[in-house]
Amino acid sequence: MWQWFFRLGSPKWFYELSGRWLPWLYVAMTVLLSVGVIWALLFVPQDYQQGDTIRIMYVHVPVASISLACFPLMAVAGVITLVWKMKLADMVAMCAAPIGAWFTAVALATGAIWGQPIWGTWWAWDARLTSMLIQFFLLIGVIALRSAIESQDAAARACALLSIVGAINVPIIKYSVEWWNTLHQPASNFAMDNESPFGPEIWVPLVIMIFAVYLFFVISLILSTRNEILVRERRSQWVVDLIAAQKPQGA
Amino acid sequence: MTDLTGPQVSTFTAFRATLRRDLLIALKRRNDLLNPLMFFLIVVSLFPLGVSSDPQELTRIAAGTVWVSALLASMLSLDNLYRADYEDGSLEQLLLSPQPLYFLVLAKNIAHWLVSGLPVVLLAPLLAYMLYLPADAYWTLMLTLLLGTPVLSLFGSIGVALTVGLGSRGLILAVIVLPLTVPVLIIGAKAVADVSLGLALGMHYSLLGALLALSLSLAPLASAAALKISVN
Repeated sequence: MWQWFFRLGSPKWFYELSGRWLPWLYVAMTVLLSVGVIWALLFVPQDYQQGDTIRIMYVHVPVASISLACFPLMAVAGVITLVWKMKLADMVAMCAAPIGAWFTAVALATGAIWGQPIWGTWWAWDARLTSMLIQFFLLIGVIALRSAIESQDAAARACALLSIVGAINVPIIKYSVEWWNTLHQPASNFAMDNESPFGPEIWVPLVIMIFAVYLFFVISLILSTRNEILVRERRSQWVVDLIAAQKPQGA
Repeated sequence: MTDLTGPQVSTFTAFRATLRRDLLIALKRRNDLLNPLMFFLIVVSLFPLGVSSDPQELTRIAAGTVWVSALLASMLSLDNLYRADYEDGSLEQLLLSPQPLYFLVLAKNIAHWLVSGLPVVLLAPLLAYMLYLPADAYWTLMLTLLLGTPVLSLFGSIGVALTVGLGSRGLILAVIVLPLTVPVLIIGAKAVADVSLGLALGMHYSLLGALLALSLSLAPLASAAALKISVN
Protein backbone atom coordinates (compact mmCIF):
# COMPACT_ATOMS: atom_id res chain seq x y z
CA MET A 1 0.00 0.00 0.00
CA TRP A 2 2.86 2.35 0.82
CA GLN A 3 4.79 1.37 -2.26
CA TRP A 4 3.38 4.07 -4.51
CA PHE A 5 4.12 6.62 -1.80
CA PHE A 6 7.79 5.79 -1.65
CA ARG A 7 8.01 5.46 -5.41
CA LEU A 8 6.64 8.98 -5.59
CA GLY A 9 9.60 10.01 -3.50
CA SER A 10 12.02 8.99 -6.20
CA PRO A 11 12.96 12.09 -8.19
CA LYS A 12 13.54 10.09 -11.35
CA TRP A 13 10.08 8.55 -11.21
CA PHE A 14 8.48 11.94 -10.61
CA TYR A 15 10.48 13.47 -13.45
CA GLU A 16 9.27 10.88 -15.93
CA LEU A 17 5.69 10.91 -14.71
CA SER A 18 5.38 14.68 -14.69
CA GLY A 19 6.92 14.78 -18.15
CA ARG A 20 3.99 12.68 -19.37
CA TRP A 21 1.46 14.83 -17.51
CA LEU A 22 2.73 18.23 -18.59
CA PRO A 23 1.33 18.32 -22.17
CA TRP A 24 -2.16 17.52 -20.88
CA LEU A 25 -1.87 20.13 -18.16
CA TYR A 26 -0.76 22.71 -20.73
CA VAL A 27 -3.75 21.98 -22.93
CA ALA A 28 -6.20 22.09 -20.03
CA MET A 29 -4.76 25.31 -18.70
CA THR A 30 -4.71 27.05 -22.07
CA VAL A 31 -8.34 26.12 -22.76
CA LEU A 32 -9.60 27.09 -19.31
CA LEU A 33 -7.56 30.27 -19.15
CA SER A 34 -8.67 31.52 -22.59
CA VAL A 35 -12.33 30.70 -21.93
CA GLY A 36 -12.17 32.20 -18.45
CA VAL A 37 -10.33 35.38 -19.40
CA ILE A 38 -12.45 36.12 -22.46
CA TRP A 39 -15.68 35.38 -20.59
CA ALA A 40 -14.69 37.39 -17.54
CA LEU A 41 -13.33 40.39 -19.38
CA LEU A 42 -15.83 40.67 -22.24
CA PHE A 43 -19.10 38.93 -21.42
CA VAL A 44 -19.67 39.17 -17.68
CA PRO A 45 -22.23 41.95 -17.09
CA GLN A 46 -21.06 45.08 -15.30
CA ASP A 47 -21.78 45.17 -11.62
CA TYR A 48 -24.48 47.68 -10.71
CA GLN A 49 -22.23 49.22 -8.05
CA GLN A 50 -18.69 48.51 -9.12
CA GLY A 51 -18.96 48.65 -12.90
CA ASP A 52 -16.01 47.13 -14.73
CA THR A 53 -13.93 47.01 -11.55
CA ILE A 54 -15.65 43.74 -10.69
CA ARG A 55 -13.55 42.03 -13.38
CA ILE A 56 -10.43 42.33 -11.21
CA MET A 57 -12.11 39.77 -8.96
CA TYR A 58 -11.56 37.13 -11.65
CA VAL A 59 -7.81 37.40 -11.16
CA HIS A 60 -7.74 38.38 -7.52
CA VAL A 61 -9.89 35.62 -6.03
CA PRO A 62 -8.14 32.66 -7.73
CA VAL A 63 -4.68 34.04 -6.97
CA ALA A 64 -5.55 34.76 -3.36
CA SER A 65 -7.10 31.33 -2.82
CA ILE A 66 -3.95 29.62 -4.08
CA SER A 67 -1.64 31.74 -1.99
CA LEU A 68 -3.64 30.61 1.05
CA ALA A 69 -3.14 26.97 0.05
CA CYS A 70 0.62 27.43 -0.20
CA PHE A 71 1.50 27.32 3.49
CA PRO A 72 -0.44 24.12 4.22
CA LEU A 73 1.24 22.57 1.17
CA MET A 74 4.69 23.53 2.46
CA ALA A 75 3.86 22.27 5.94
CA VAL A 76 2.72 18.87 4.62
CA ALA A 77 5.87 18.66 2.52
CA GLY A 78 7.82 19.65 5.63
CA VAL A 79 6.31 16.82 7.68
CA ILE A 80 7.18 14.36 4.90
CA THR A 81 10.73 15.75 4.79
CA LEU A 82 11.21 15.43 8.54
CA VAL A 83 9.52 12.05 8.98
CA TRP A 84 10.44 10.10 5.84
CA LYS A 85 13.44 12.23 4.74
CA MET A 86 11.99 12.25 1.25
CA LYS A 87 14.08 14.51 -0.95
CA LEU A 88 11.31 15.15 -3.45
CA ALA A 89 9.09 16.65 -0.73
CA ASP A 90 11.83 19.12 0.12
CA MET A 91 12.29 20.07 -3.52
CA VAL A 92 8.55 20.74 -3.84
CA ALA A 93 8.55 22.79 -0.62
CA MET A 94 11.58 24.73 -1.80
CA CYS A 95 9.99 25.55 -5.15
CA ALA A 96 6.59 26.32 -3.63
CA ALA A 97 7.93 29.09 -1.37
CA PRO A 98 8.91 31.64 -4.03
CA ILE A 99 5.88 30.80 -6.19
CA GLY A 100 3.64 31.24 -3.14
CA ALA A 101 5.33 34.54 -2.31
CA TRP A 102 4.68 35.76 -5.85
CA PHE A 103 1.04 34.70 -5.71
CA THR A 104 0.66 36.48 -2.37
CA ALA A 105 2.26 39.60 -3.81
CA VAL A 106 -0.03 39.47 -6.88
CA ALA A 107 -3.05 38.98 -4.62
CA LEU A 108 -2.02 42.04 -2.59
CA ALA A 109 -1.36 44.07 -5.74
CA THR A 110 -4.65 43.19 -7.44
CA GLY A 111 -6.40 43.86 -4.15
CA ALA A 112 -4.82 47.31 -4.07
CA ILE A 113 -5.81 48.02 -7.68
CA TRP A 114 -9.37 46.96 -6.87
CA GLY A 115 -9.39 48.88 -3.61
CA GLN A 116 -8.37 52.18 -5.17
CA PRO A 117 -11.66 52.86 -7.03
CA ILE A 118 -13.91 51.00 -4.55
CA TRP A 119 -12.57 52.01 -1.14
CA GLY A 120 -10.82 55.14 -2.41
CA THR A 121 -7.44 53.95 -1.13
CA TRP A 122 -4.67 51.64 -2.28
CA TRP A 123 -4.19 50.18 1.13
CA ALA A 124 -6.40 49.65 4.15
CA TRP A 125 -5.53 47.78 7.33
CA ASP A 126 -8.38 45.45 6.61
CA ALA A 127 -8.21 42.06 8.31
CA ARG A 128 -7.73 40.09 5.11
CA LEU A 129 -5.15 42.43 3.64
CA THR A 130 -3.17 42.49 6.85
CA SER A 131 -3.10 38.73 7.32
CA MET A 132 -2.05 38.33 3.67
CA LEU A 133 0.79 40.76 4.29
CA ILE A 134 1.95 38.84 7.38
CA GLN A 135 1.77 35.61 5.40
CA PHE A 136 3.96 37.24 2.76
CA PHE A 137 6.50 38.07 5.50
CA LEU A 138 6.41 34.47 6.74
CA LEU A 139 7.13 33.16 3.24
CA ILE A 140 9.99 35.62 2.85
CA GLY A 141 11.35 34.30 6.14
CA VAL A 142 11.33 30.71 4.87
CA ILE A 143 13.04 31.75 1.63
CA ALA A 144 15.65 33.77 3.53
CA LEU A 145 16.38 30.88 5.87
CA ARG A 146 16.79 28.52 2.91
CA SER A 147 19.32 30.78 1.24
CA ALA A 148 21.23 31.42 4.46
CA ILE A 149 22.00 27.78 5.31
CA GLU A 150 24.73 26.28 3.20
CA SER A 151 24.25 22.59 3.87
CA GLN A 152 21.39 21.39 1.70
CA ASP A 153 20.28 18.76 4.16
CA ALA A 154 20.23 21.13 7.13
CA ALA A 155 18.45 23.77 5.05
CA ALA A 156 15.79 21.25 4.07
CA ARG A 157 15.05 20.25 7.65
CA ALA A 158 15.26 23.80 9.03
CA CYS A 159 12.84 25.10 6.40
CA ALA A 160 10.53 22.13 6.98
CA LEU A 161 10.40 22.96 10.69
CA LEU A 162 9.85 26.67 10.05
CA SER A 163 7.06 25.88 7.58
CA ILE A 164 5.31 23.72 10.16
CA VAL A 165 5.65 26.39 12.85
CA GLY A 166 4.41 28.97 10.35
CA ALA A 167 1.45 26.84 9.30
CA ILE A 168 0.38 26.47 12.94
CA ASN A 169 0.72 30.23 13.30
CA VAL A 170 -1.14 31.28 10.16
CA PRO A 171 -4.63 30.61 11.59
CA ILE A 172 -3.69 32.24 14.91
CA ILE A 173 -2.46 35.31 13.05
CA LYS A 174 -5.57 35.35 10.90
CA TYR A 175 -7.96 35.23 13.84
CA SER A 176 -6.02 37.74 15.93
CA VAL A 177 -5.90 40.17 13.02
CA GLU A 178 -9.63 39.75 12.41
CA TRP A 179 -10.35 40.28 16.09
CA TRP A 180 -8.12 43.36 16.19
CA ASN A 181 -9.65 44.83 13.10
CA THR A 182 -13.30 44.19 13.81
CA LEU A 183 -12.97 45.82 17.20
CA HIS A 184 -11.23 48.79 15.62
CA GLN A 185 -13.79 49.51 12.92
CA PRO A 186 -17.00 47.62 13.46
CA ALA A 187 -18.54 49.09 10.32
CA SER A 188 -16.02 47.61 7.88
CA ASN A 189 -18.67 46.31 5.55
CA PHE A 190 -17.01 46.33 2.21
CA ALA A 191 -18.72 45.97 -1.10
CA MET A 192 -17.37 42.46 -1.64
CA ASP A 193 -19.30 41.22 1.38
CA ASN A 194 -22.77 42.60 0.74
CA GLU A 195 -22.91 42.05 -2.95
CA SER A 196 -26.15 41.07 -4.58
CA PRO A 197 -26.62 37.30 -4.79
CA PHE A 198 -24.25 35.90 -7.40
CA GLY A 199 -25.95 34.68 -10.53
CA PRO A 200 -24.41 31.88 -12.56
CA GLU A 201 -23.23 34.40 -15.17
CA ILE A 202 -20.97 35.77 -12.42
CA TRP A 203 -19.72 32.65 -10.70
CA VAL A 204 -19.28 30.17 -13.56
CA PRO A 205 -16.41 32.18 -15.11
CA LEU A 206 -14.98 32.62 -11.63
CA VAL A 207 -14.90 28.86 -11.09
CA ILE A 208 -13.28 28.42 -14.50
CA MET A 209 -10.66 31.01 -13.62
CA ILE A 210 -9.99 29.34 -10.26
CA PHE A 211 -9.31 26.03 -11.98
CA ALA A 212 -7.20 27.74 -14.65
CA VAL A 213 -5.04 29.55 -12.12
CA TYR A 214 -4.74 26.39 -10.03
CA LEU A 215 -3.43 24.61 -13.11
CA PHE A 216 -1.03 27.47 -13.69
CA PHE A 217 0.25 27.09 -10.15
CA VAL A 218 0.62 23.32 -10.51
CA ILE A 219 2.45 23.68 -13.83
CA SER A 220 4.82 26.32 -12.40
CA LEU A 221 5.48 24.12 -9.40
CA ILE A 222 6.12 21.03 -11.55
CA LEU A 223 8.44 22.89 -13.94
CA SER A 224 10.39 24.44 -11.14
CA THR A 225 10.61 21.12 -9.27
CA ARG A 226 11.82 19.34 -12.44
CA ASN A 227 14.50 21.97 -12.75
CA GLU A 228 15.56 21.43 -9.16
CA ILE A 229 15.60 17.66 -9.67
CA LEU A 230 18.01 18.03 -12.61
CA VAL A 231 20.25 20.36 -10.63
CA ARG A 232 20.41 18.15 -7.54
CA GLU A 233 20.69 14.85 -9.41
CA ARG A 234 23.13 16.13 -12.00
CA ARG A 235 25.71 13.54 -11.01
CA SER A 236 23.38 10.56 -11.28
CA GLN A 237 23.51 8.40 -14.37
CA TRP A 238 19.95 8.94 -15.59
CA VAL A 239 20.38 12.72 -15.72
CA VAL A 240 23.68 12.39 -17.55
CA ASP A 241 21.99 10.08 -20.08
CA LEU A 242 19.06 12.45 -20.40
CA ILE A 243 21.28 15.44 -21.10
CA ALA A 244 23.36 13.43 -23.58
CA ALA A 245 20.22 12.33 -25.41
CA GLN A 246 18.96 15.90 -25.67
CA LYS A 247 22.15 17.27 -27.20
CA PRO A 248 21.96 17.55 -30.98
CA GLN A 249 24.08 14.92 -32.69
CA GLY A 250 27.60 15.96 -33.61
CA ALA A 251 27.39 19.21 -31.64
CA MET B 1 31.26 -4.79 30.97
CA THR B 2 31.58 -1.43 32.65
CA ASP B 3 28.55 0.58 33.46
CA LEU B 4 28.46 3.45 30.99
CA THR B 5 25.27 5.05 32.24
CA GLY B 6 26.88 6.66 35.27
CA PRO B 7 24.91 8.04 38.19
CA GLN B 8 21.27 8.67 37.37
CA VAL B 9 20.18 12.30 37.46
CA SER B 10 16.52 13.13 37.66
CA THR B 11 15.03 15.38 34.99
CA PHE B 12 14.10 17.93 37.59
CA THR B 13 17.69 18.16 38.81
CA ALA B 14 18.90 18.64 35.25
CA PHE B 15 16.26 21.29 34.69
CA ARG B 16 17.31 23.15 37.84
CA ALA B 17 20.99 22.87 37.03
CA THR B 18 20.49 24.29 33.52
CA LEU B 19 18.39 27.14 34.86
CA ARG B 20 20.96 27.93 37.56
CA ARG B 21 23.85 27.78 35.15
CA ASP B 22 22.22 30.14 32.64
CA LEU B 23 21.21 32.61 35.34
CA LEU B 24 24.74 32.60 36.78
CA ILE B 25 26.28 33.22 33.38
CA ALA B 26 23.84 36.06 32.73
CA LEU B 27 24.61 37.67 36.08
CA LYS B 28 28.33 37.53 35.35
CA ARG B 29 27.83 39.47 32.12
CA ARG B 30 26.32 42.71 33.28
CA ASN B 31 26.48 44.37 29.88
CA ASP B 32 24.42 41.71 28.21
CA LEU B 33 21.89 42.23 30.96
CA LEU B 34 21.76 45.98 30.63
CA ASN B 35 21.88 46.38 26.86
CA PRO B 36 18.35 45.18 26.04
CA LEU B 37 16.99 47.43 28.78
CA MET B 38 18.90 50.44 27.49
CA PHE B 39 17.72 49.59 23.98
CA PHE B 40 14.13 49.46 25.25
CA LEU B 41 14.55 52.83 26.92
CA ILE B 42 16.13 54.45 23.87
CA VAL B 43 13.59 53.12 21.36
CA VAL B 44 10.69 54.31 23.50
CA SER B 45 12.19 57.77 23.80
CA LEU B 46 12.65 57.95 20.03
CA PHE B 47 8.89 57.95 19.52
CA PRO B 48 8.14 61.31 21.15
CA LEU B 49 11.07 62.75 19.21
CA GLY B 50 9.84 61.31 15.94
CA VAL B 51 6.09 61.65 16.33
CA SER B 52 5.23 64.55 18.61
CA SER B 53 5.65 65.74 22.17
CA ASP B 54 1.96 66.53 22.47
CA PRO B 55 0.63 64.64 25.53
CA GLN B 56 -2.66 63.73 23.86
CA GLU B 57 -0.92 62.32 20.81
CA LEU B 58 1.48 60.36 23.03
CA THR B 59 -1.35 58.96 25.15
CA ARG B 60 -2.87 57.57 22.00
CA ILE B 61 0.28 55.77 20.84
CA ALA B 62 1.67 54.88 24.29
CA ALA B 63 0.39 51.30 24.45
CA GLY B 64 1.63 50.39 20.98
CA THR B 65 4.96 52.13 21.47
CA VAL B 66 5.80 50.31 24.69
CA TRP B 67 4.71 46.97 23.23
CA VAL B 68 6.63 47.35 19.94
CA SER B 69 9.74 48.44 21.84
CA ALA B 70 9.45 45.49 24.21
CA LEU B 71 9.18 43.22 21.16
CA LEU B 72 12.31 44.72 19.60
CA ALA B 73 14.24 44.58 22.86
CA SER B 74 13.38 40.92 23.28
CA MET B 75 14.51 40.32 19.69
CA LEU B 76 17.85 41.97 20.41
CA SER B 77 18.56 39.87 23.47
CA LEU B 78 17.66 36.58 21.79
CA ASP B 79 21.13 35.97 20.43
CA ASN B 80 22.47 35.36 23.95
CA LEU B 81 20.18 32.37 24.22
CA TYR B 82 22.28 29.74 22.43
CA ARG B 83 25.13 31.61 20.76
CA ALA B 84 27.82 31.36 23.42
CA ASP B 85 26.87 27.76 24.19
CA TYR B 86 27.14 26.92 20.53
CA GLU B 87 30.57 28.46 20.25
CA ASP B 88 32.11 26.83 23.32
CA GLY B 89 30.55 23.45 22.59
CA SER B 90 28.35 23.17 25.64
CA LEU B 91 25.27 23.16 23.43
CA GLU B 92 26.46 19.87 21.95
CA GLN B 93 26.82 18.45 25.43
CA LEU B 94 23.28 19.56 26.16
CA LEU B 95 22.03 17.71 23.09
CA LEU B 96 24.00 14.61 24.02
CA SER B 97 22.62 14.44 27.53
CA PRO B 98 20.12 11.66 28.19
CA GLN B 99 17.60 14.09 29.67
CA PRO B 100 14.54 15.08 27.62
CA LEU B 101 15.63 18.08 25.60
CA TYR B 102 12.22 19.71 26.05
CA PHE B 103 12.92 20.47 29.71
CA LEU B 104 16.49 21.65 29.14
CA VAL B 105 15.35 24.03 26.40
CA LEU B 106 12.50 25.18 28.64
CA ALA B 107 14.99 25.90 31.43
CA LYS B 108 17.14 27.96 29.08
CA ASN B 109 14.09 29.86 27.84
CA ILE B 110 12.92 30.59 31.37
CA ALA B 111 16.39 31.81 32.33
CA HIS B 112 16.45 34.03 29.24
CA TRP B 113 13.06 35.48 30.09
CA LEU B 114 14.06 36.13 33.71
CA VAL B 115 17.07 38.21 32.66
CA SER B 116 15.65 39.92 29.55
CA GLY B 117 11.86 39.83 29.73
CA LEU B 118 11.16 40.47 33.37
CA PRO B 119 13.28 43.66 33.60
CA VAL B 120 11.37 45.03 30.60
CA VAL B 121 8.09 44.32 32.41
CA LEU B 122 9.37 46.11 35.50
CA LEU B 123 10.69 49.10 33.57
CA ALA B 124 7.51 49.48 31.50
CA PRO B 125 5.52 51.66 33.98
CA LEU B 126 8.28 54.28 34.02
CA LEU B 127 8.21 54.52 30.24
CA ALA B 128 4.43 54.46 30.23
CA TYR B 129 4.52 57.46 32.56
CA MET B 130 6.82 59.30 30.17
CA LEU B 131 4.33 58.61 27.37
CA TYR B 132 1.36 59.88 29.45
CA LEU B 133 -0.39 56.52 29.55
CA PRO B 134 -3.49 56.90 31.80
CA ALA B 135 -2.77 55.60 35.29
CA ASP B 136 -5.46 52.91 35.26
CA ALA B 137 -3.75 51.20 32.34
CA TYR B 138 -0.48 50.54 34.22
CA TRP B 139 -1.57 47.25 35.70
CA THR B 140 -2.91 46.07 32.39
CA LEU B 141 0.34 47.01 30.71
CA MET B 142 2.43 45.09 33.23
CA LEU B 143 0.10 42.10 33.28
CA THR B 144 -0.07 41.80 29.48
CA LEU B 145 3.70 42.17 29.25
CA LEU B 146 4.06 39.55 31.97
CA LEU B 147 1.94 37.14 29.93
CA GLY B 148 3.27 38.22 26.54
CA THR B 149 7.06 38.53 26.90
CA PRO B 150 7.52 34.81 27.76
CA VAL B 151 5.76 34.01 24.47
CA LEU B 152 8.24 36.28 22.70
CA SER B 153 11.16 34.43 24.32
CA LEU B 154 9.67 31.04 23.45
CA PHE B 155 8.97 31.92 19.80
CA GLY B 156 12.29 33.69 19.50
CA SER B 157 14.05 30.60 20.80
CA ILE B 158 12.86 28.65 17.74
CA GLY B 159 14.34 31.30 15.46
CA VAL B 160 17.68 31.42 17.29
CA ALA B 161 17.88 27.64 17.34
CA LEU B 162 17.37 27.55 13.57
CA THR B 163 19.99 30.21 12.87
CA VAL B 164 22.57 29.56 15.60
CA GLY B 165 25.07 27.98 13.21
CA LEU B 166 24.93 30.76 10.63
CA GLY B 167 27.54 33.44 10.15
CA SER B 168 25.31 36.48 9.64
CA ARG B 169 22.21 35.86 11.61
CA GLY B 170 21.03 39.18 13.08
CA LEU B 171 18.65 40.24 10.33
CA ILE B 172 17.48 36.81 9.30
CA LEU B 173 16.49 36.10 12.88
CA ALA B 174 14.24 39.17 12.89
CA VAL B 175 12.78 38.29 9.49
CA ILE B 176 11.88 34.80 10.70
CA VAL B 177 10.66 35.62 14.19
CA LEU B 178 8.90 38.99 13.92
CA PRO B 179 5.95 37.77 11.78
CA LEU B 180 5.36 34.97 14.28
CA THR B 181 4.99 37.46 17.12
CA VAL B 182 2.18 39.43 15.49
CA PRO B 183 -0.67 37.87 17.56
CA VAL B 184 1.04 38.68 20.87
CA LEU B 185 1.65 42.26 19.83
CA ILE B 186 -1.91 42.73 18.60
CA ILE B 187 -3.56 41.33 21.71
CA GLY B 188 -1.19 42.93 24.23
CA ALA B 189 -1.19 46.40 22.73
CA LYS B 190 -4.93 46.29 22.18
CA ALA B 191 -5.62 45.37 25.80
CA VAL B 192 -3.61 48.35 27.07
CA ALA B 193 -5.15 50.69 24.52
CA ASP B 194 -8.67 49.56 25.41
CA VAL B 195 -8.14 50.11 29.12
CA SER B 196 -6.63 53.55 28.56
CA LEU B 197 -9.72 54.44 26.52
CA GLY B 198 -11.88 53.34 29.44
CA LEU B 199 -13.25 50.24 27.73
CA ALA B 200 -13.91 47.05 29.65
CA LEU B 201 -11.48 44.22 28.97
CA GLY B 202 -13.04 41.23 27.30
CA MET B 203 -11.06 38.17 26.47
CA HIS B 204 -7.65 39.84 26.13
CA TYR B 205 -6.12 38.10 29.13
CA SER B 206 -7.58 34.73 28.22
CA LEU B 207 -6.23 35.01 24.68
CA LEU B 208 -2.77 35.95 25.90
CA GLY B 209 -2.90 33.16 28.45
CA ALA B 210 -3.93 30.71 25.75
CA LEU B 211 -1.01 31.81 23.58
CA LEU B 212 1.34 31.40 26.52
CA ALA B 213 0.02 27.92 27.30
CA LEU B 214 0.26 26.90 23.66
CA SER B 215 3.80 28.18 23.23
CA LEU B 216 4.95 26.75 26.58
CA SER B 217 3.86 23.30 25.48
CA LEU B 218 4.88 23.37 21.81
CA ALA B 219 7.64 25.95 21.26
CA PRO B 220 10.37 24.14 23.29
CA LEU B 221 9.70 21.02 21.21
CA ALA B 222 10.23 23.03 18.03
CA SER B 223 13.35 24.67 19.53
CA ALA B 224 14.74 21.26 20.49
CA ALA B 225 14.15 19.93 16.97
CA ALA B 226 15.72 23.06 15.51
CA LEU B 227 18.80 22.73 17.73
CA LYS B 228 19.25 19.15 16.57
CA ILE B 229 19.13 20.37 12.96
CA SER B 230 21.58 23.22 13.55
CA VAL B 231 24.12 21.22 15.56
CA ASN B 232 25.04 18.26 13.47
